[in-house]
Amino acid sequence: MMAVGLNHFLVLSALLFVLGLLAVLTKKNAVTVLMGIELILNAANINFIAFSRYADTDLDGQLFALFVIITAAAGAAVALAIVLNIYKQMRSVNLDEADTLAG
Amino acid sequence: MLLHFAAPFIFVIVAAAFIALNLLISRLLQPRVPSAGKNTTYECGEIPIGSSWVQFNIRFYVITLIFVIFDVEIVFLVPWAVVFKDLGWFAFVEVVIFVFILLVGLAYAWRKGDLEWDKPETGKFARDAAPQLFEEVGTERQQTVQEVTL
Amino acid sequence: MEFSHFLQINLASLPYFIPELMLVATLLALIIIDLVMKKPSSSGWLAVVALAGVLITLITVVNQYNLDSRSLFNGMLVLDHFSLFFKVLFLLAASLAILFSMASIELAGRPVGEYFTLLIALVLGMFLMAASTNLIMIYISIELVSISSFVLAAYIKRATRSSEAGLKYAIYGAFSSGLMLYGFSLLYGLTGTLDLYQLANLLSDAVAQNPLVVFLAVLFILAGFGYKIAAVPFHFWAPDVYEGAPTPMTAFFSVGPKAAGFALLIRFFVSGMSQPSLVESTVWQAIGNVNWPQLLAVISAATMTLGNLIALVQNNVKRLLAYSSIAHAGYALMGTVVLTQEGYFATLFYLVAYYLMNMGAFLVVIVFQDLIGSEKIDDYRGLGYRAPLPAVAMGLFLFSLTGLPPTVGFIGKFYLFAALIKAGEQYYWLAVVGVLNSVVSLYYYVKIMKYMFLDRPSEEKATALPVAFGMNIMLIVLMVPILLFGLYWAPLQEFTRNSIQFFTGVF
Repeated sequence: MMAVGLNHFLVLSALLFVLGLLAVLTKKNAVTVLMGIELILNAANINFIAFSRYADTDLDGQLFALFVIITAAAGAAVALAIVLNIYKQMRSVNLDEADTLAG
Repeated sequence: MLLHFAAPFIFVIVAAAFIALNLLISRLLQPRVPSAGKNTTYECGEIPIGSSWVQFNIRFYVITLIFVIFDVEIVFLVPWAVVFKDLGWFAFVEVVIFVFILLVGLAYAWRKGDLEWDKPETGKFARDAAPQLFEEVGTERQQTVQEVTL
Repeated sequence: MEFSHFLQINLASLPYFIPELMLVATLLALIIIDLVMKKPSSSGWLAVVALAGVLITLITVVNQYNLDSRSLFNGMLVLDHFSLFFKVLFLLAASLAILFSMASIELAGRPVGEYFTLLIALVLGMFLMAASTNLIMIYISIELVSISSFVLAAYIKRATRSSEAGLKYAIYGAFSSGLMLYGFSLLYGLTGTLDLYQLANLLSDAVAQNPLVVFLAVLFILAGFGYKIAAVPFHFWAPDVYEGAPTPMTAFFSVGPKAAGFALLIRFFVSGMSQPSLVESTVWQAIGNVNWPQLLAVISAATMTLGNLIALVQNNVKRLLAYSSIAHAGYALMGTVVLTQEGYFATLFYLVAYYLMNMGAFLVVIVFQDLIGSEKIDDYRGLGYRAPLPAVAMGLFLFSLTGLPPTVGFIGKFYLFAALIKAGEQYYWLAVVGVLNSVVSLYYYVKIMKYMFLDRPSEEKATALPVAFGMNIMLIVLMVPILLFGLYWAPLQEFTRNSIQFFTGVF
């Protein structure tokens, strides 16, 4: 069998990235959009770890992935709290309905 | 190189064919007697009660949030612990400071009552107990200012 | 052991990190005081503590001016005049934001412990943004700024528009930083390093092998930076966030994080993506044939044109100023596309001018919001007669934003255009676009003035408005430097020129 190489990881991460992009651009539910953003972040994480493992000997990439996980957790927590607050007020998390500010 | 993919590819085809064949056979053989009972959710033969779309209590959210934040900090502590002996005291002091800052965060969550399952009706802060009162004071002030000016 | 060397460097870096440590101490003090204090009336004290922390930090930052440039924490951060310039700007913006928050009634009666804590965290994030030279550090500092500002924008929990502002800020912010991160990962894959200086060394090979991937990476990274400075096409969040957020925070967002975005943009492209020209020491060249200066020029032109055109049809002053601040990001970008010392000087000078005039304009919005409870241009009718000082101040700030003499805005724009013209013919078109935009912007700035001074107030509203004493003082404090630097700008020019000193790496 063929060994799994760098390219496989890159294709996987590119796929995840495009899926995340698609979710962000087409979905209207705020929670789904946030999930799409998580996909993008994790695509980047896969890139970092794969490059760190295959193309380079130092651990910079893996370290970066750790920090991304942490900040993504913090960011998601804040974003979800805001979504929750929006839901309390508007009874909806549809981004198209959050348009009181359009003008 | 392409040949390497032959085995999984054949596997996928066989698997798909197997499922399709089974569905086809059962479609051909099965008797069709539709009834309302058959459309309900299967719950061990019992008649299901209520909707299966249960809304979780919102308090779980806060607990989960606190858990996640304190969970991911482990990511920083584990690599440090692995090389603790090589790093020595300076790194130890750094980690103590890090944990101290986290503890301030925990103290914050505690003091604000987010660790309690039942939030007390009368909080330790008056503003926790009756935030709407403070809201009203704010709007009242705004109104008074407007009345004075108009 | 091999670690001890790194630890030594970290330990030796700590004395140069005192301003940031002061901010962390202030932040922790604010949380603890908020937890210990029993009554909500302690909010005044929290503001005082926050202000004191910011001012002490300012002193420590100014003390660092006589130090040489150096790299800190194993290449994570740098200390140079460029970062110090921005740190002073951030602290001045933060102290004004704290004063605005204390004076405004928008936050009256609300718990403010978290508010000031987050504000200080935001300042800390901006400090790191201005000083980072490592992709990890850049990402973390951007996230620190972003996450704090999401919460601050949504701070008024019961107001739908504030929550909505927070939601839009958070979604666009997370999305663009995701794109930027993907760009970083591509750059890391191509060069195998996260350090900006090593990146500059290794990039020409990467460009030779994979020009398309490098271009893609730069495009993604520009998404992250463009979001921070609200440049087209990553500006969508700005009007909604600026309109919905508490006004003192709007004033701060339009100045602080924007300046931090510029600091990061300039640092990233100067240290990581270009090299000093062999011919002249004040000029840089883009590495390889990735033509990102041209890309920046197009973004700059699109940003100012779009911002100004949409501002023309706004009838909410806060929203109008939001679009105007998008346009101003476009103006300031003009200085960064030419890759000369002159250009960077012009951008930095313009950011100072923009800080003064935009903070001023938003202060007037706060004053009127508190007095008449509205931000609509229609309600500004006749305010020139009812509250002369804020109205006159607004006039001065708007003149300065337009770029008319004798204000500091004029000097700033003059330097920007001068830098463009000096750089050569290929950017004349951008200068023409900039001048045309200034003319367009005159229309909507003058529209506000017309409502305030030429339209009489209706009979029942003809009474004078009682402007608070503190507000008057702050207005005058902001008006003086705008006029002063508009007539005698040599000190500011010298200070800014001294700030174009980048740490150039240790290799």
